[in-house]
Amino acid sequence: MLKTGLFFGKRGHRSQIEGLLFILPYAFLWGFFLIWPLAYGFFISLHKWDPLRGSKFIGLANYVKLFRSPIFWNAFFNTFEFAGIAVPLIIILGLVFALLMQRMSIRGGRFIEASLFFPYLLTVSIVSLVWKWLFDPDVGLVLYYSSRLGLHLPTFLADKFWALPAIAFATAWWLAGYRMVIFKAAMGDIPPELYESAELDGAGGYKKFRHITLPLLRPAILFALILTTISGFRVFGQVIMMTAGGPGRSSEVLALYLYRRGFDYLQMGLAAAVGFILFVIILIITVISFRFLGFESRL
Amino acid sequence: MLNEFFKNLKLTRRWKNLLGICLAAVMLLAAGGSFVFAQKKYELNFNTLFHGGDAQAMVRIVEKFNKENPQVKIDLVQGQWEDYYAKLYITVAAGEPPHIGITHTTYIPSMAPAMTPLEKSRAGNLLDIAGIKGEDYVEDLWKAGVYEGTRYVVPLDTHMWALWYNKDLFKEAGLDPNSPPNTGKELEEAASKIKAIGKYAIHPADIGKPRHFRRAWYILFWQQGGELFDKDFAKATFNNDKGLRALEYLVNVFQKWGWNKPGTNGNAQFVAGRLGMLWVGNWFYWTAERSGVNYATAPMPQIFDKRVTWGNSHNMVIPKQPLKVSDNVIVTAIKTIKWISENSDIWGIYGGHAPAYKPVLEGKKLGESKTWKKSLSVLSDMALEGALHYPIIHPQAKQLEHSIQVYVEEAVNGIISPQEALDKAEEEVNEILGS
Repeated sequence: MLKTGLFFGKRGHRSQIEGLLFILPYAFLWGFFLIWPLAYGFFISLHKWDPLRGSKFIGLANYVKLFRSPIFWNAFFNTFEFAGIAVPLIIILGLVFALLMQRMSIRGGRFIEASLFFPYLLTVSIVSLVWKWLFDPDVGLVLYYSSRLGLHLPTFLADKFWALPAIAFATAWWLAGYRMVIFKAAMGDIPPELYESAELDGAGGYKKFRHITLPLLRPAILFALILTTISGFRVFGQVIMMTAGGPGRSSEVLALYLYRRGFDYLQMGLAAAVGFILFVIILIITVISFRFLGFESRL
Repeated sequence: MLNEFFKNLKLTRRWKNLLGICLAAVMLLAAGGSFVFAQKKYELNFNTLFHGGDAQAMVRIVEKFNKENPQVKIDLVQGQWEDYYAKLYITVAAGEPPHIGITHTTYIPSMAPAMTPLEKSRAGNLLDIAGIKGEDYVEDLWKAGVYEGTRYVVPLDTHMWALWYNKDLFKEAGLDPNSPPNTGKELEEAASKIKAIGKYAIHPADIGKPRHFRRAWYILFWQQGGELFDKDFAKATFNNDKGLRALEYLVNVFQKWGWNKPGTNGNAQFVAGRLGMLWVGNWFYWTAERSGVNYATAPMPQIFDKRVTWGNSHNMVIPKQPLKVSDNVIVTAIKTIKWISENSDIWGIYGGHAPAYKPVLEGKKLGESKTWKKSLSVLSDMALEGALHYPIIHPQAKQLEHSIQVYVEEAVNGIISPQEALDKAEEEVNEILGS
């Protein structure tokens, strides 16, 4: 009885229990849809997994096989190449669009903003098909009009060097609009008095951006960066539809490599190992992002 | 006794009437229900990998079936080729497979664990139950449906690549539109003339995906008598003069002779009237018909030593069913498969494939159809000539094919040399075979 009295009597304990109860539904969903699949996926990766032919425990053999495979490393570096191009492009474009929209008070500004956001509403298959046709060497508008301007551009999607950057560009077109919305919303929270004070002190556009806008946008940038990095490393739809990982394997990324191992070759254990490695990569990058950028906005 | 019982209940007149009505209703329902159970409607899920002209042919077949068989309803789902087998395998593992599926002959070894053995199913010998006999099917196709002594499939068709050409462009280029090229020399002459009028001469690879370049290379390699692997699939046997000659020919189409450009889609070029000749399968028939192009079909030209073309077959299968699916459903599925065989003239006429069921293949309906006259007769002649060559039939077929096609594609796009492509492909497939 004394214990019970202590347990319910003290406010701290009671509020702790209340807090726990509040997060319990989310914790359940998080556990069921994230922790459990992650743990089970890792379990599968320790097996030669075949649900119909029978599975066999092989320890870390799948991981060893991956680390010894040049095809795995090709996909690994392609993924980093894609993310290295797409992520900064999406963030920078989003920021530029947000700045332009914030400053533009012309007629049709809202329409322009909506047009920049519109691609985000499309599905990955539509975006991929549209850009596949735009880049087509026969009927694609990109090569047609560039040749009319006297430019001899490569056949992007059939070029080993340009395939990934072309896919990254299409991805940036698709996602930059949403990042623009995030940044514009965050910019709206910056007190205008700060800009007025800076102007009074003689600060120009660049200095105001560098010393006021950018620092106060830190949380929004971190959020957009994490979101975009995760999409960048998980890229799949655009690659499979635009190039199927080609030409050769020049645009084969980790997610496509995982898909092929799991669903083309039915090597589920190996595919699960790739999935776990991808998870670890994204986790490390997210933690580093938090560490260096932080969630605080400060001048 | 019953009267005593009801007397003791001391029911009012109203309650007695109500009880009587309820009893009557229960009896009627039981009678009606037993009528319904006796006339039970089966719903079969039929998943296919058809997505082009042949998909609409299968829709016609299913519509006809559903009309003529009110006791059974087929729910048809069709989709892309690429991830079909993975989906089929996973649905069996998950215990939610379709009742009927499709499998290419070349994927029987890899899909065998996911398919019902037709002669040894839990519902009995399904072939006997449905009256399906091997002698009713084209012999080679029937024989190919057995893997490790077990039959898993009922053949639906055979399909292969042929030469589709634009008669108007032939005329414009000064070629006889009724005399398509039959040899390598004639092909080169036709290609040069079509190129001279500013059109694409030839696209040897369908819509230009990696697997199509691989098929084109196979054709050129097999035409020289080459075989991809040794008898036991212990090692690759394509990295030799024949393999190199074949790949150099294919690469030259895009890189040296200027007959086409890398990264292009042959089907799109053909339907736009910009391509003289296309290598593609008989399923292209309805696309060609709807394109408005004045086209004709011809046998695959004999560029090297003998006429060979790439081909495969679609087969109908019953994916392994979980125990919750009754034997009656499995029996209904095999009877439905038999019905589809018997009505596969629709498949031939509207899908452009050559049916495997002999009474249909040799029947009047197909023989008098436009499809037969315009394309199927060409394929049938090639098959009779022995020109059809299946690709890799092996449990790791997909992985082996993929390891070849990535390098073939790189060579075609001018990224690596043909010899380098063969060296890399050989190394990779030997590693897969050895693992």
